[in-house]
Amino acid sequence: MTFNEQELVTGCKQRNRLAQKQLYDVFGGKLFAICLRYTKNRADAEDVLQDAFIKIYQNIDSFRNDSPLEYWLRSVVVNTALNHLRQQKYLKDLDDIDIHHNGIADREFTLGNFQLQQLMELIQELPTGCQTIFNLYAIEGYQHNEIAQKLGISEGTSKSQYSRARTLLQQKLNKEKRFDDGSVRNKQF
Amino acid sequence: MDPSATNSFEDQWRKALREASETPPPSVWEGIEARLDEGNDKGIIPLWGQSPKIWYAAASVVALLLVGVGLWYSGGGINDKKAETNVAFNKSGNDKNAANDVADISKKDSSEVSNNTQNEIEKQPLLAKTETIRENRTKNKVTGSGLSSGKEVSIATENSKNQSGDPVKESLAIKEAPRLPNNSGTDIEKQAPTMIFQSEDNRVAANVVENNAQSGISAELLNSLPYDQLDVHFQKRFVFFRPEIREEEEVIKPAKNKEYWAALGVMPASFNPDVKIKEAPLAFSNQTLSNKKSVSGTSEAGASYSVQTQGGVRVSKHWTVEFGLSYLKGNSDYQGGGYVLSAYNSKSANALENALSGLASAPIAGPTGMDKGAGFANNQSIYIDVTKKVSNNYQYLQLPVQAGFTLNPDKKLSYSVLGGMAANFFLTNDLESASGEIITTKASDEIYRTVNWAATTGLRFNYRLSSKWKASLTGSYQKAVSSGFRSNQSLDSHPYLYGVAWGVRYSF
Repeated sequence: MTFNEQELVTGCKQRNRLAQKQLYDVFGGKLFAICLRYTKNRADAEDVLQDAFIKIYQNIDSFRNDSPLEYWLRSVVVNTALNHLRQQKYLKDLDDIDIHHNGIADREFTLGNFQLQQLMELIQELPTGCQTIFNLYAIEGYQHNEIAQKLGISEGTSKSQYSRARTLLQQKLNKEKRFDDGSVRNKQF
Repeated sequence: MDPSATNSFEDQWRKALREASETPPPSVWEGIEARLDEGNDKGIIPLWGQSPKIWYAAASVVALLLVGVGLWYSGGGINDKKAETNVAFNKSGNDKNAANDVADISKKDSSEVSNNTQNEIEKQPLLAKTETIRENRTKNKVTGSGLSSGKEVSIATENSKNQSGDPVKESLAIKEAPRLPNNSGTDIEKQAPTMIFQSEDNRVAANVVENNAQSGISAELLNSLPYDQLDVHFQKRFVFFRPEIREEEEVIKPAKNKEYWAALGVMPASFNPDVKIKEAPLAFSNQTLSNKKSVSGTSEAGASYSVQTQGGVRVSKHWTVEFGLSYLKGNSDYQGGGYVLSAYNSKSANALENALSGLASAPIAGPTGMDKGAGFANNQSIYIDVTKKVSNNYQYLQLPVQAGFTLNPDKKLSYSVLGGMAANFFLTNDLESASGEIITTKASDEIYRTVNWAATTGLRFNYRLSSKWKASLTGSYQKAVSSGFRSNQSLDSHPYLYGVAWGVRYSF
């Protein structure tokens, strides 16, 4: 933790509005990107971000300096997003699905030609279950057993949903490659 | 390591998105700020104030209570005046004075209503869930002010029109009333007595308004606020409550320690009167040998027993005080000192027999009628230096008072150390020779002390049989601290007693 972060945390613990605003300014962008990954549209992402920051400010006292602040903030945002999905019942009835390996080797895979907005859009277009599990496994780095525990599903379901997400993403990426030469689609997500 | 492994599907996505950032719109921070302000404004209330559902439920309960209270207080009055009201209403329908008074009351009500409505509407932002706080706040402010002014106008207008008796308007006017049943009710009640003095018709008119308002309240409150499926956020509440039972405990504890008991026991014992002849009796003092030998006799303990009753009280956890009443049959023998033999009738007398007989103010006669005191005097007897044993049996009534310290008092097996004093009341003494001659001494003979004090000590084992019953085994030792004989006698006695008592105890 840098000195400034520590000051921010101290200020937030004292319910200092300037410190709260500064924390938001520093981490709001990254956290909003996470919200976008877990939701289907910007409005939902804004709601999640708002809820997450309220939780952060309310529970900042429970933050200990033994871990980086950003990790803690990210975990709060991810949990808030999962709660949001649960409330919207998006995560209900996640089923096992047949795993089809797409046959594309990792070494052949590259995202170098895609821009961030494209990738965000591709993730948002995934079915909610696939989207969530893809985010948790591929981006956040959770293991399938941890995901199963978090979402209340079986480990097999987590694996199959992830496999499906991976297949869908690769199909979409291939499709995008065929359509353009790497330019961003003119769609605001 | 294969470099391609770091370029896997997940790694690619992680690299691309892990550090991704997207600037949120300004409305997000404004919403956060609004919610933070809202949280600060709530103060202590937010424990349950965060859930609109709970507010709705609380409002419903309060409204129902108010209706109930209204009906309770108005029920008797309505029944009593119902007939009168109906008749009077028709009569006063066109009475302008009555109508004016009603209008005055209605105006008061309307002003109260508008004030309170305003307050309630100001609270509405707390109740409503905001999708976007900032927008909702603006909306609430606008609608709040609109509602308050609108209600005020409509109520005032409708109340003023109540004079015409239009039932539709009346019901509309009263529709706003349920939110403030207390205020409207109170105002009407306050106003009512004044009107009664003004005219009979006015009073009737006031009753009509009151009755109508109450009926409107009960009907309207059942369909009060719209119900919406909103999220319920439960909050854990830890209520720390310490019941004040300490005082009771303090009262109970001494009572628990204060335990009374009664006990009954039998003690086989070894009793020794330890009688000593301080100077040679009359029949033995004539000869040097007998004079010397007569004081050399000793007492031997005999098998004795004691029947004991006790009563005790436990004064603290460990300490007890106990009292008793016991009968002691102390048997012993006295031997030594030789004996004297009568030259005329071959009767003999032990040194103790002779001494004891000589102490009596009146002659003590044995079964044979022979005086063992003076019968051997004047050289009419010979001294024989042979040990002659006589049994020396006592009977005492004992009143011991002892204190006890108990270890493990509440355990199954407890131990008590006892110490105290015992008053031994002398009953009788039988001195019986081998030939069957008995010298019986009673307390009235004034040879023995009536009361002889003894120190007592003992160790008792208590075994709890049940909550009320205990069995006890007590080892006792008693030693007289004063002589058993009166102080002017030539005999001395300091009886002592060993014994083991078996008994049972009943606790109350």
